[in-house]
Amino acid sequence: MVVLISKRIGFMVITMFVVSVLLFLALEFSPGDVATKVLGPYSSEESRQLWLEAHGYFEPAWKRYGIWLGKFATGDFGDSVRFKVPVSEILWPRLWNTAILGFWTFAFLIPVSLALGVLAGMREGSKLDRVISVGSIITTSIPEFASTVFLSAIFVFTLRWLPGTSSMSSGFEFKQLILPVLVLFIYDFGYVARMTRASMAEVMTTPYIRTAILKGLPYRQVILKHALRNALIAPFTVIMLQINWLLSGVIVVEFFFAYKGFGALLLEASLNQDLYVIEACAMVAVFVAVTSQTLADIGYTFLNPRIRFS
Amino acid sequence: MSRDNHGREHPYIPEIKNQLLKGEIDRREFLRTVTLLGMTATAAYAFADTFTGPGIIKGAQAQTPKKGGIIRAAMQVQDMSDPAVYDWVEKSNVSRQMVEYLTITGPDNVTRPLLAEKWVPSDDLKTWTLHIRKGVKYGNGDELTADDVIYNFKRWLDPKTGSSMVGMLNSMLDESEGKDKDGKPMKIKVMTPGAVEKVDKYTVRIHLNSPDLSIPEKLYHYPAAIVHRSFDEKGANIAKNPELGTGPYTLAEYRVGEKAVLKRRGGGFEYWGEDPYLDEIHYIDTGQDSSAALAAVASGQVDTIYSLDLTLLGAAQNMPGIKVLETTTAQTGVMRIQSLKAPYDDIRVRQAMQLAADNQKMLDIAYQGRGQVAENHHVAKVQPDYAPLPKIKRDVAKAKQLLADAGHGGGLNIECNVGNTNGQWETDQVIVLKQNLAEAGINLKVNIMPAAQYWEVWTKAQFSLTVWTHRPLGTMLLGVAYRTGVPWNEAAYASKEFDDLLTQAESTVDMNARHKIMAKVEKRLQDDAIMIQPYFRSVMTVSSEKVKNLAVHPTNYHQWHKVWIDS
Repeated sequence: MVVLISKRIGFMVITMFVVSVLLFLALEFSPGDVATKVLGPYSSEESRQLWLEAHGYFEPAWKRYGIWLGKFATGDFGDSVRFKVPVSEILWPRLWNTAILGFWTFAFLIPVSLALGVLAGMREGSKLDRVISVGSIITTSIPEFASTVFLSAIFVFTLRWLPGTSSMSSGFEFKQLILPVLVLFIYDFGYVARMTRASMAEVMTTPYIRTAILKGLPYRQVILKHALRNALIAPFTVIMLQINWLLSGVIVVEFFFAYKGFGALLLEASLNQDLYVIEACAMVAVFVAVTSQTLADIGYTFLNPRIRFS
Repeated sequence: MSRDNHGREHPYIPEIKNQLLKGEIDRREFLRTVTLLGMTATAAYAFADTFTGPGIIKGAQAQTPKKGGIIRAAMQVQDMSDPAVYDWVEKSNVSRQMVEYLTITGPDNVTRPLLAEKWVPSDDLKTWTLHIRKGVKYGNGDELTADDVIYNFKRWLDPKTGSSMVGMLNSMLDESEGKDKDGKPMKIKVMTPGAVEKVDKYTVRIHLNSPDLSIPEKLYHYPAAIVHRSFDEKGANIAKNPELGTGPYTLAEYRVGEKAVLKRRGGGFEYWGEDPYLDEIHYIDTGQDSSAALAAVASGQVDTIYSLDLTLLGAAQNMPGIKVLETTTAQTGVMRIQSLKAPYDDIRVRQAMQLAADNQKMLDIAYQGRGQVAENHHVAKVQPDYAPLPKIKRDVAKAKQLLADAGHGGGLNIECNVGNTNGQWETDQVIVLKQNLAEAGINLKVNIMPAAQYWEVWTKAQFSLTVWTHRPLGTMLLGVAYRTGVPWNEAAYASKEFDDLLTQAESTVDMNARHKIMAKVEKRLQDDAIMIQPYFRSVMTVSSEKVKNLAVHPTNYHQWHKVWIDS
């Protein structure tokens, strides 16, 4: 297990290094003048040149990459062009906000989608299965940008039950979190439920389940003790992948509801060419992706002892 | 004795009064001009009311205002360190409550005294004496004096600052030898020695190289906020040092991209003017999605928004408890053409584009008809110095002929950049133009880019749409946008004749004479075909019913002094 974990971590570091080089190169060749962004479109040529010099922009690219990487590794992500403060001052609070949003989304998503998926997969072709399957296809096929508008039209503009934006400008308020969580939930639960259903249905047809039923075990015990553990491997992977999806999937939701999270930060940074923020956000996204996959790999070994990574 | 108390009356004022009586000028133009020449707004309104009846501004306040309360406005909260280099009105709307201006122009286009309690122009309009209001305190307790005002003038006009005030106060500048980034000599504009003079502790005199009637209005241009003389020393950041302004509010909370909270200054600070009604002003950043701002109003999270996007007008009109406020302005989307390189260096190409463009259709389709059709010279009917020109009819056949003469008979491929920096209507406008031009055999490629990227190219692109805000006077806008060599001259327009005519217009007090010059100015721009400027648009906002006495300013400037909340 120790070997597995250290291998995984080593793999993580290499992945992040490669990504950092690619990212640096991509931004190096992106159009636009950094100095103009920092000092504003009407700044004088002279002040722009001074700024570029002061921030080492006349050094060769490899040297700047080295400096950037060194600072990055020690938590210094540079200063945001738009906010005029260190990136870390904005990034961590924003990431925390997205974590809150993600937490509540998963808090509803995981139990509901697993339960529905298991119920549907238990008796493939039953009425309940049909209802759950069709329902989840419908919700999953409505894109987030559409459901945000539909839900806002109903709950904000017509019924006036819920706040229209979730900027939390006067401190955290759970009411403001309802619509964003609902949109993410509706979009994603069908997917996880369908995966669970497929996995469950497959397990239910295996000989050992049939044997368990035929030897007279109570149905509940067959499901809980024998079927579930095997059936949950696939959904477990899917759920771990949803963490990655969430980091980028929240962009639409956060932008629409003016929620001050990681997704909105990334989008606004891109729109405003806020270089250091884009770099930091991308690295965080890669880190989360690689970490969640590592955790998933480790998780498999617990769910299915037959899986061993060598 | 009353004339002594008010200072010397400008010799031109009796003439203007006479013109009003004869009906040669309208009430608005009368008010604007006499107040600029130093007559108090009260006296000007009283005179105008006697002869033309009261205007619509009076009596607008039917209810008794209530003191206290908080207004919450959805608006982007941007970095706003240095007022002198502002490029967004949003920045100034937050700082405007902390740092004040020498003058103030109301939604009625009339400029009134603010930190300057009065101004006295010389007869030739080349010397302006600004009398600084006595007893005005900065948040740090220091009194506002002539030194502060002089400090600000010097700061704006220093090329190192990079302020757009350089274009506004062009008549205080001389050309001088400077160096570009490669060390090659280039012409830079620096303040004329002695252009700002300290007369005494409360009096500043500015000397212009050419006459300029619109100095008081230019002093309310949004980068012209008067900061304390120690501003640079303290790090040139008003968000960190809100005490370096004289306004009634201070910054209690400020997070770029999230929120700005302004509160009445405490600690024994005595505001020099009438105390505003509102206790607090909250700006809440709902991001760049305008529908989020409207959703915030709909659910009562904010009371008003910065500006209502045209696409949301229908939705806003159907919301109960919400008012839509609208005003006609000189704001516009200019599709300007740099005539430096092919194919635009051939004037026939540019003329063909103008002739093929259907300005009325662009207004009707791209802006739902909410505005006034324009004539490709960037002076609006709402501006008092507008002079009507003979109408030019759309003529596709003539456009085709011109193109053929220019050697593009077989068609012409061009590209227009648009950044939607203000809204989707910009792209819609270019798309209508694309259809217009196609009729004349021009294939226009619409290059849509993110707003931030657009600001990278706005002065460099050959053909692109830039959004220009309102100015109270046509000359003010032309001075920053089309005079040779000014930083915002995005069309890279260079016409000695235009520059001279504009300077002449700026120095002509007689309105009839000025209209005649303005007709030439407009004609020059139109004839040089450096832009397709189809229409002037209205600006709109929404507010909840409980917000009282709120008027849309044509430049979206937030003047909260008289606004109150009826809770």
